[in-house]
Amino acid sequence: MDNYLQLARAAAEAALATEGVYSLGTGRYVEAATYGPGEKVTGVVVGPDEVRVHIVVSYPPPEPIPALAERVRERVASEAGGRAMTVVVEDLEVVRDENL
Amino acid sequence: MRIFNRIVVILLLAGLVYLAIATVVYVFELGPYELEGLPNALGFGGLYEGLNGYVGNIESGNIDALDVIVLSAITLLGLVLFILELKPPTPRRVRMQRGTYITRRAVEREVSPLVEQEPEVLQSNVKVKAQRRPGAKVQVGASIRPGEDARSVQSEVQSRVQQQMAETGVPVSDLRVRANESDPRQTKTRVK
Repeated sequence: MDNYLQLARAAAEAALATEGVYSLGTGRYVEAATYGPGEKVTGVVVGPDEVRVHIVVSYPPPEPIPALAERVRERVASEAGGRAMTVVVEDLEVVRDENL
Repeated sequence: MRIFNRIVVILLLAGLVYLAIATVVYVFELGPYELEGLPNALGFGGLYEGLNGYVGNIESGNIDALDVIVLSAITLLGLVLFILELKPPTPRRVRMQRGTYITRRAVEREVSPLVEQEPEVLQSNVKVKAQRRPGAKVQVGASIRPGEDARSVQSEVQSRVQQQMAETGVPVSDLRVRANESDPRQTKTRVK
């Protein structure tokens, strides 16, 4: 289970480090998270065969959303330990222009 | 379909529980209840006789046109339900590429402001359905004032949404826009 948490943390960091990812999603009907003793990592669901990452994309996105999702997928896949990777774009968040 | 199935199963199970309790009461002859009186107590007396006669008629080949229609309708209904049950459920999320998905809500949030950017549109209603193949099925309802040119609004909205979706890369495989005349007093925006 510790491995799951470590993997989830690494996947979350990798996803958040990708340009265009605003935050990690929390799931809508069911919380998207990986649970461990006294701790949970929200936005990444690690299973025995699959890692699912829920992301919220900054709007406007720096590149087409499928390309961004694919980039997140590739980046997180290196942390996924051979598991199948799924990226879910959960929402879009309008980012305020700091120059305004 | 799943909700329909669930309702049917709940009703069926509730009926079975009721029957089981009644059977236990009657089998052990608790109080004034006796097993012989169970069909009548459940109100099945007339139904049982009617059903018996009906099945007897069918077995002896005495069926009229109405019976044929009813039996055919039941068969057809069973066949339709069977096919619907075999059909795999619609996915919840819109597939973009292999292993990448976008939620229907995110697509809605992308499309809705685009539609409302159109000056003639007072309110939008966007419905997004995920499909088994990549791409979303998007139905856009645009409320406009009575007397506006619905066709031009539809084509404007259609091209705007298609263009923006192509830019952001959200796959839309089927886009349908419908402009409806609405009373401005009942829409989100009255004047633009």
